[in-house]
Amino acid sequence: MKRFSAFNMTTLLLGFAFLYIPIIILVVFSFNESKLVTVWGGFSTKWYGELMNNQSIKDAAWVTVKVAFTSSTIATLLGTIAGLVMTKFGRFRGRTLFSGMIYAPMVMPEVIIGLSLLLMFVALSIDRGVMTVTLAHITFSMCYVAVVVQSRMSSYDDSINEAALDLGCTPFKTFFLITLPIILPAVVSGWLLSFTLSLDDLVIASFTSGPGSTTLPMKIYSMVRLGVTPEINAVSTILVGLVAIGVVTGSFIGKKQKTN
Amino acid sequence: MTEISTIEPWTDSSQKAYIEIKNVTKKFGDFTAIDNLSLDIYKNEFFSLLGPSGCGKTTLLRMLAGFEKPTEGTILLDGEDISQVPPHLRPINMMFQSYALFPHMSVEKNIAFGLKQDKLPKNEINDRVEEMLELVQLTEFAKRKPDQLSGGQRQRVALGRSLAKRPKLLLLDEPLGALDKRLREQTQFELMNIQEKLGVTFVIVTHDQEEAMTVSSRIGLMDTGYLTQVATPTEIYEAPVNRDVADFIGDVNFLEGTYKGQNEIGTQLDSVDAKCVVYTTQATAADIGRKLWFAIRPEKLEISKKKPDFEHNILKGKIEDISYTGSMSTFHVKLANGKILTACRANRERSVEHQLTWEDEVYLHWLPHSAIVLQS
Amino acid sequence: MSKIKSFRGIGRTAVIGIPYLWLSVLFLLPFLIVLKISFAEPIISIPPYTSLLQWGDTFWPTIKASLDGYLFILEDSLYVNAYLSSLKIATVSTLIALVVGYAIAYSIAKAPTRWRGVLLMLVILPFWTSFLIRVYAWIGILKTEGLLNLLLLSLGVIDKPLTIMNTDLAVYIGIVYSYLPFMILPLYANLEKMDFSLLEAAADLGCRPFKTFWTVTIPLSLPGILAGCFLVFIPAVGEFVIPDLLGGTQTLMIGKVLWLEFFNNRDWPLASAVAIILLAILIVPIMYYQKTQEKAIS
Repeated sequence: MKRFSAFNMTTLLLGFAFLYIPIIILVVFSFNESKLVTVWGGFSTKWYGELMNNQSIKDAAWVTVKVAFTSSTIATLLGTIAGLVMTKFGRFRGRTLFSGMIYAPMVMPEVIIGLSLLLMFVALSIDRGVMTVTLAHITFSMCYVAVVVQSRMSSYDDSINEAALDLGCTPFKTFFLITLPIILPAVVSGWLLSFTLSLDDLVIASFTSGPGSTTLPMKIYSMVRLGVTPEINAVSTILVGLVAIGVVTGSFIGKKQKTN
Repeated sequence: MTEISTIEPWTDSSQKAYIEIKNVTKKFGDFTAIDNLSLDIYKNEFFSLLGPSGCGKTTLLRMLAGFEKPTEGTILLDGEDISQVPPHLRPINMMFQSYALFPHMSVEKNIAFGLKQDKLPKNEINDRVEEMLELVQLTEFAKRKPDQLSGGQRQRVALGRSLAKRPKLLLLDEPLGALDKRLREQTQFELMNIQEKLGVTFVIVTHDQEEAMTVSSRIGLMDTGYLTQVATPTEIYEAPVNRDVADFIGDVNFLEGTYKGQNEIGTQLDSVDAKCVVYTTQATAADIGRKLWFAIRPEKLEISKKKPDFEHNILKGKIEDISYTGSMSTFHVKLANGKILTACRANRERSVEHQLTWEDEVYLHWLPHSAIVLQS
Repeated sequence: MSKIKSFRGIGRTAVIGIPYLWLSVLFLLPFLIVLKISFAEPIISIPPYTSLLQWGDTFWPTIKASLDGYLFILEDSLYVNAYLSSLKIATVSTLIALVVGYAIAYSIAKAPTRWRGVLLMLVILPFWTSFLIRVYAWIGILKTEGLLNLLLLSLGVIDKPLTIMNTDLAVYIGIVYSYLPFMILPLYANLEKMDFSLLEAAADLGCRPFKTFWTVTIPLSLPGILAGCFLVFIPAVGEFVIPDLLGGTQTLMIGKVLWLEFFNNRDWPLASAVAIILLAILIVPIMYYQKTQEKAIS
């Protein structure tokens, strides 16, 4: 059986072209002198300049970053606990429901999650703002963290924990001295995943935010509804660039850790 | 070297056992892993729990370590009941089958870990770690991490780590399983030396009978949750309690027959296989006509082309198979009734020509005290 | 497998309890509230729906529940069509994504080992980029004056610009594009573990490559296929952004309907009822997904 055939190569090239060409076009046209997306008017960075002067975008970006940092940190805490519980705590009452609550948010349509959270906030007379968006993000992000941690823990060698106990370490200390350092890469990637999900969320944020807590995706969406402008391309390019740097750095660090 | 007051403390009724396992049963749901097991292990013993997979030996070991609690019964260590004591509070250490080294810590830190938990002063910890590194000959690898070590080196780190706290009792779970033959043999002797030097009681779990025979003061043979025989290696080999035990350790020949009674030689067996009466010096108390077995080890069965000059215990057969391993030759001899007996002998003389070969007609003979009687 | 035994008792309950409580309050409870509101009636008030319990002259409150919302939805062909259309679009998109994703995942699995890490990272990278941005990027391409038409016209392949934007086709492209990484990753995870020597064994026994693919490769990669399909299909049914930006007024997707009912019409009870019915449709696949994931981990 031939290993890597021409067909495979073609598939990959076409596939990656499909995935990346829209992004590349986006980036290229953010430098377009002309306002039109399809006519190239020359190279210009003026849209980035306009972006810098756009206060509402900058405010939205700040809200988004705040929410992302807070929600991913708390989600990582909760999600790690949940992942541990799912793999190492055996059977307990209500486990099926717990498991369901962990997996369901990952596939559930965002409109349902967003709507339900908003209705609850209203019913409990909680004002919508940065806090409610953060609460919402924590809720669905923690599920992703839980799955990542669960996946790591399922291949965790229990005898290492037993060895620690055997050498006189209490179970509580064992978690912090032994388990956590070993699964740290998974926990960190859980944090990064939460951060990205929060950064990117439009639908749930739309439902759960309030006046003064517009997030960047919400702002971009409202701009898009008004029409395609290169300013949007500029914002998008910056975001894409940041994410690309983050992912590449992350995988670099990951590789370095492995070889050490 | 530590003083051992008696060479065989289990024979001396005034000696108190160091570990007393009293009527311990362990159930996992409906499954009974250990069934009403009682065992005494004495100080400074190198005790082996030997048995096939699933016999419960690892479960028993884990109960000593504290990772499983007995469903019924108690375990006493030096007179104290430790059955309910959690593992991190027991003065017992364990060496794990997978070594379980902490991957994010260096060799030094791994060994120092247990000492840190005891909150020993820093310089004492350093001294102890150095001592251990020397003991297991890993001084120049102190700063390395586990994934930078070979299998044999990791095993020695695990050993050093488990001995660092000078435990009263060391438990070893199949410690030599992952090593190749040469390294295994070498390590077996190292373990015995360390054990004598430090005066620690070792309890080792293994499925490798050669290993158990080499290192142990006594062996506890286990089968599906209970002990079949607890004895020294010699006793187990030369005086097995039943056919299962005899068969488990080394090779053995069984001659089946009916008990004919005692005479001036000893027990007479009317053997079906030999088609004659055979004798052994061991006395038997049983009903005449009962089914019995003689067990004879292959090395005690003499094989020759010429009829031996003895009165009894001579069988005739044809060589079916020969297994030549350099130092020994093993012959599979088929008797007239089809039964195959195994005889082996050392190749005492250096001769390229084979003296006995396939299809040869030969005589088998054993001295009367070389066979034992088994009633089950 | 040892359980952390000393977490028995209070410690253990507390540890399980913390995430459990959070999810119960912020995930489960909201659904119950949606259910309750779906039985209410819209009124001009804050909040814009009637309450379930009415306190009046009698000691015990009366329950004022109305099934008007549900009946309206089930009788109105618009909603029924929206549900069916959503299911159709999601199914078609999932199948397209499956074919495309499988080809890519398979090729990565067969690539030399040192490339695979990089290739996977290239697949994951778009996923980390904003969903919204990527969908937005397609607008510029699929518009009538967009780049695709520009390209095809200049190459002479067509002489009139294609209308792709604001049609179902644009939605298909959008969904496949956005969810492709979700399809590729589980497929790859499964294919990477596959023992290719099984395929060689089949060939050795005289099986032709095409048949081997159907009788050996596909069945073995079934867990990955199922996981990928669930990860695409279920959220795609309730997708909002893609039909809103790329689809037209003719494109009926239930996520968009829900949004409009809620934000434009301010009919909360109706939106709630729409959500509950959608949830009811999806509950079986969701539970099935959870079962397969639990099995895979254990």
